[in-house]
Amino acid sequence: MTFAERMLKIDRRIIFLVIGFCTLLPLLYPVGLPIKISPEVKSVYDYMESLPERSVFLLSIDFDPASKPELHPQAIALLRHAFRKNLRVVAMTLWVSGTGMADQLVTQVSREMGKENGKDYVFLGWSPGNTAVIINMGQDLYQAFPSDYSGKSTKGLPVLEGVHSLKDVNYAVSLGAGNPGVEAWYVFGKDKYKFELGGGCTGVIAPGLYPLLRSGQINGLIGGLRGAAEYESLIGQKGRAVAGMDAQSATHLAIIVLVAICNIFYFTIRRQSHS
Amino acid sequence: MIFLRRRLPLLITMITGLVFAGQYYVPHPASEQMLTSATKWLQIIGGFALVLGVTSLFHQHAAKIRRKEAGWGYSLVLYVGMLGTIAVGLLANGKESVDGAMTAFGWIYSFMMVPLQGTMFAILAFFIASAAYRSFRARSREAAVLLIAAVIVMMGRVPLGEYLLPLSGDVSSWILNVLNASVRRAILIGVSLGAVALSFKIIFGVERSYLGGGKE
Repeated sequence: MTFAERMLKIDRRIIFLVIGFCTLLPLLYPVGLPIKISPEVKSVYDYMESLPERSVFLLSIDFDPASKPELHPQAIALLRHAFRKNLRVVAMTLWVSGTGMADQLVTQVSREMGKENGKDYVFLGWSPGNTAVIINMGQDLYQAFPSDYSGKSTKGLPVLEGVHSLKDVNYAVSLGAGNPGVEAWYVFGKDKYKFELGGGCTGVIAPGLYPLLRSGQINGLIGGLRGAAEYESLIGQKGRAVAGMDAQSATHLAIIVLVAICNIFYFTIRRQSHS
Repeated sequence: MIFLRRRLPLLITMITGLVFAGQYYVPHPASEQMLTSATKWLQIIGGFALVLGVTSLFHQHAAKIRRKEAGWGYSLVLYVGMLGTIAVGLLANGKESVDGAMTAFGWIYSFMMVPLQGTMFAILAFFIASAAYRSFRARSREAAVLLIAAVIVMMGRVPLGEYLLPLSGDVSSWILNVLNASVRRAILIGVSLGAVALSFKIIFGVERSYLGGGKE
């Protein structure tokens, strides 16, 4: 077996070790390279900035703990921005396995920003029915969620004053890790009830949402950890996403180097077999 | 019997399909009220579907344990995990925390489910790197194009890539916004047209496989 052949059959544990180091070292010794802001993330930020105080901002936390590393920082950055702008925040989830995480998230950021439950924000929790929940909210929000996550009746909550359905929402953002997520919010929500919609998603599904972005069906898109880091930079409150970008930079570079090496050896073997 | 088994479901499907397709274009309060009621039913049925799903899972794994099939130990773990979580969840009234204090259900969620799901997802990074090393080879012209595009996008999506190759950010954005978006849109249009055609076939009774088999 030649050296090139041996290298192509390298023990995968060595690759695991390389990726492990590339993730760990930048987290321990951050470099802090500058992050360029993309127009799709800037659009979400600009729309939030344009909203007057006490506008209704709906955040649908449509992911479970598996996508927490990418979408949690997006949700934190969006909530911080909304609370800083004194918007009325209506949070919810379409993913039952994400309910506890979403509750912790909303409680944590609202405490940090000194906001009051029921007056400045409400967490509606989860309701069965998948995408039917969106249609039901578009028809009558109080039928879809008669009570909030803590069991309080949603009718009469100051945060929902003047809000009857999705038509009264000024801006909605779905942070989706799959289905139901951003696409469902467009198809069953925005298309019929005419509110402005933005999206956030994991890096894996971001390319699939570009057609919605290009056609204006969503006004902006926060894609993966990079999108979260961009949003954190925009609001001037750097958090986990910015810290994670160095690790992501290193792992991306490591994968590119590994792919280049494997191709060099592959062509070496091919040339040897031809000659 | 044929009427109850075949014709009646087909009739219900046709009437419901046509009524709700038309409902979208009728903004009358009665039409909106009908949609509200129907979606409320859907939510209730969704709740029952959850119970049905869990029951079916229990049956499937109970059979595995009874017959001591390969991997029956995992079924036992699933059983213990599910029953334990249901019992704890019922005791905590489905709440992760009460007055700021974490319940046992919250503990299971925060310290078992969250790290387990996070770990499963994180492991992917290692396997993707290993798989990329083994299979991402420029075996043909098409594979070479894919390889170059992937490298550019990977560089353009991280600050280090943009620092080393300043153009990669703009090129990656162009690939995502123009090439990727147009191809995805074409696929999306195709899938949507297929869905419309299938819906018509179901509404007009051409496609009947959803009714299931069996004697008429």
